[in-house]
Amino acid sequence: MTAVAHGDAGDKVIFNNLHFEIRGGEIVDITGPSGSGKSTLLTAFARLNVNTAGTFTLDGVDSDSLTPQQWRERVAYLPQTSVLIGETVIDAIRLPFTLRVRTSADHESAERRLPDALVRETLDSMGCEDIDLTRPVHELSGGQAARVSLARTLLTHPAVLLADEVDAGLDDENANKVADILRAAADAGTAVVRIRHRQADGRANKIIVLANGTLSDAPAQQPQDKAQEGQAR
Amino acid sequence: MYFAIDNWGLLIAVVMVLIAAGVSVLMKLDIAKSLIWATIRSLVQLLAMGFILAYVIKQNNVWLVFGLIVLMLVAATQITLDRAKGIPKGLVPLILLSLTVTMLLMVSIVGELVVRPTPWYAPQFIVPLSGMLLGNTVSALALGLSRFFNSMRERYDEVNTLLALGATKWEAAKPSIISSITLGLLPTIATLASSGIVTIPGMMAGQIIAGQSPVNAAKYQFVVLAAISALTLLADSTILALVYKRCFISYDRYFMPPARTAGKKAGK
Repeated sequence: MTAVAHGDAGDKVIFNNLHFEIRGGEIVDITGPSGSGKSTLLTAFARLNVNTAGTFTLDGVDSDSLTPQQWRERVAYLPQTSVLIGETVIDAIRLPFTLRVRTSADHESAERRLPDALVRETLDSMGCEDIDLTRPVHELSGGQAARVSLARTLLTHPAVLLADEVDAGLDDENANKVADILRAAADAGTAVVRIRHRQADGRANKIIVLANGTLSDAPAQQPQDKAQEGQAR
Repeated sequence: MYFAIDNWGLLIAVVMVLIAAGVSVLMKLDIAKSLIWATIRSLVQLLAMGFILAYVIKQNNVWLVFGLIVLMLVAATQITLDRAKGIPKGLVPLILLSLTVTMLLMVSIVGELVVRPTPWYAPQFIVPLSGMLLGNTVSALALGLSRFFNSMRERYDEVNTLLALGATKWEAAKPSIISSITLGLLPTIATLASSGIVTIPGMMAGQIIAGQSPVNAAKYQFVVLAAISALTLLADSTILALVYKRCFISYDRYFMPPARTAGKKAGK
């Protein structure tokens, strides 16, 4: 896949001819300096990025043979900024099930397909016992919003979950909780790609560095962690 | 009985504006220049329209009527483009199309179905009717289009989140479409609701001054207002339904086309 940014000062190649592969059940972390194109890479996987071109396949199915909606239902991008759409927490979490791509043949309502109890259980497992389902979303703290946003995507059960620094705004304890949840999702068969700036947390099966337009395996843990600390935000 | 206005009358109106402008200069309001300029423009434009209409009515020729309407449509498109801020390039055909369609509906429904003038193209009826419709539609379109593109820009994160969750282009753009149609139509609805209480709308006032029965004038005014409201909603919805896709590129990716600013900055 190739990414070219179109700027005022002409076009700039962010990366060219990259190849990336992930299996269900794996967590792959992508690290690398700011501006190296990590987010570009992730949004490209979800085919949301306007500057990238490439071939994307999931279980041998080419993204071009699916509608964009079908592809993104399977390959879910979780943005760094959590935008919760709806009045309350439960509205925000049910939103994906009100979209046409997930409307079932028998038009079962979002309430039936995502009952309160299931949402409650998911939130509790994420350390969000304190978040009431009827709470207005604008009252949530940044960390809470990030977890609600993660719950929203997790409950859609994507095959691939692309997590763009979802633990960036969280304290260590909550970051750890989120990491556990993603690990659990991976153990249940989801392929998880994470962009991370924090120290390696031992959850990833593989750590990859994106720098100067190329992907390379991170050299064993320790030196990598030091390098990361240097540019943690 | 009709009370005509002579040149002294025009002069008095202009002097009123000059006095108001003078006061605004004293109050250090930075508005005198544009007020005077707009007044002169309006005097010239209205008189020109008066003379042109007088000619067209006298000729009573169907082609002349349509030629004039086409000219009005082109001007209306230009004014819409000038007023709508932050819209992308290439909307001219869409604006022209939606104005033309609503105009044709107006003329055929209000004209040929309700009023039934003879001849069917009677210029003293068709031309002012078109003018009133266009005036209203132009404001609604300009307001609706600016709001839509601004809203799509402001909702950058929200649109991308919706797309990431599997929304279609339509689903991702819908909140912006709804808010801009609502906004575009607010003035129209306000006019409709306040007419007769706060204001005697221009058309009714005109007919009464021209000596018509006020009740007849009221009926006329109602038909025209109702039709204008319906058609304005139609024009606004049509154009947004045609235009919202401009915010996306292939594979339903969100991409705002650059606004067609540059060039025209003179004026205000």
